[in-house]
Amino acid sequence: MGIGGRIVFVIVALLFLFALYLSLDANKFRATVHVVEGESVIGVNPTTESLDFGDLSRGSSAIRRVTLKNGTAIPVFVKAITLGGIADLVDLDKNNFTLAPREEVTLEFSLFMPASAESDKTYAGRVFIFKIPTIRS
Amino acid sequence: MLHGPPVDTIRRIPRVPQLAEEIVRAAASAEAEARKKRRAPWSGALSLVIFIGIVVGVPKLLSWALQTPHPMAAITSGSMWPTFKVGSLVFIEGVQAEEIRVGDIVVFRNPENASLTIHRVVRREGDTLTTKGDANFKEDVPVKVGDVVGRTLTAFDKPVRIPYLGSLTMFAGKLRAGE
Repeated sequence: MGIGGRIVFVIVALLFLFALYLSLDANKFRATVHVVEGESVIGVNPTTESLDFGDLSRGSSAIRRVTLKNGTAIPVFVKAITLGGIADLVDLDKNNFTLAPREEVTLEFSLFMPASAESDKTYAGRVFIFKIPTIRS
Repeated sequence: MLHGPPVDTIRRIPRVPQLAEEIVRAAASAEAEARKKRRAPWSGALSLVIFIGIVVGVPKLLSWALQTPHPMAAITSGSMWPTFKVGSLVFIEGVQAEEIRVGDIVVFRNPENASLTIHRVVRREGDTLTTKGDANFKEDVPVKVGDVVGRTLTAFDKPVRIPYLGSLTMFAGKLRAGE
């Protein structure tokens, strides 16, 4: 491997390690909602592991809140990604923003059950909240 | 006693025909590289022309084939979820008024906001259509058959759509609007 190849290898390795750090440091939640007929049963606010929207009937909605704190001395860029079948139903009140050092923010995940949701079906997915260290400008 | 180079050294010195072969191979490869460099500017320009042809020509070709001035549409809201998800690209075909049936997904000029809307026909009374988004609870304001621009193209009884590709046109639209 020539010198150029070694430099590329080091850069790729550093990028991989950075991506690994971001993945390990991200807040991860399992998100679920169950469609029911009639009365909705809104569950309690999430644990640190899950965003459970409970049992919702069509036309009803629920909100779940997650508090994020930047415990570091540098600002972090917050990016939330929702994956899975539930992703189409969940809205987030703020995304893609910078959290200052020691600052805290509460994110609101709201879910509205549309008319076309299938009865007795559970929509599930995962929510990843990445905190990417940024350079102060 | 004979003196000379060690036996393994004698074995490693290539024979003259082998050397000549290597020189010819190196010259041929240098010529091929030079030929590739000479061709490069033309192939770059050709690729650009092909790309522009595809970007401009495909919508025109689709418009002609599907008999509608709006052959493609990006889904920008979740009102037709789960049939169409936000960011999908759907294809629209021209349709005669008498061919529109209840259950068809049509594109029409929405009188409420002067935009194009894609919803499903839930009722037809003469020349008046009542539509509703699958995910909505309320029906839309009825529209005339003449306001219908087209019907979503279907294959095997399912609408033809390309997931995520509509996001590109939505992004381009936002850039144009300066957002």
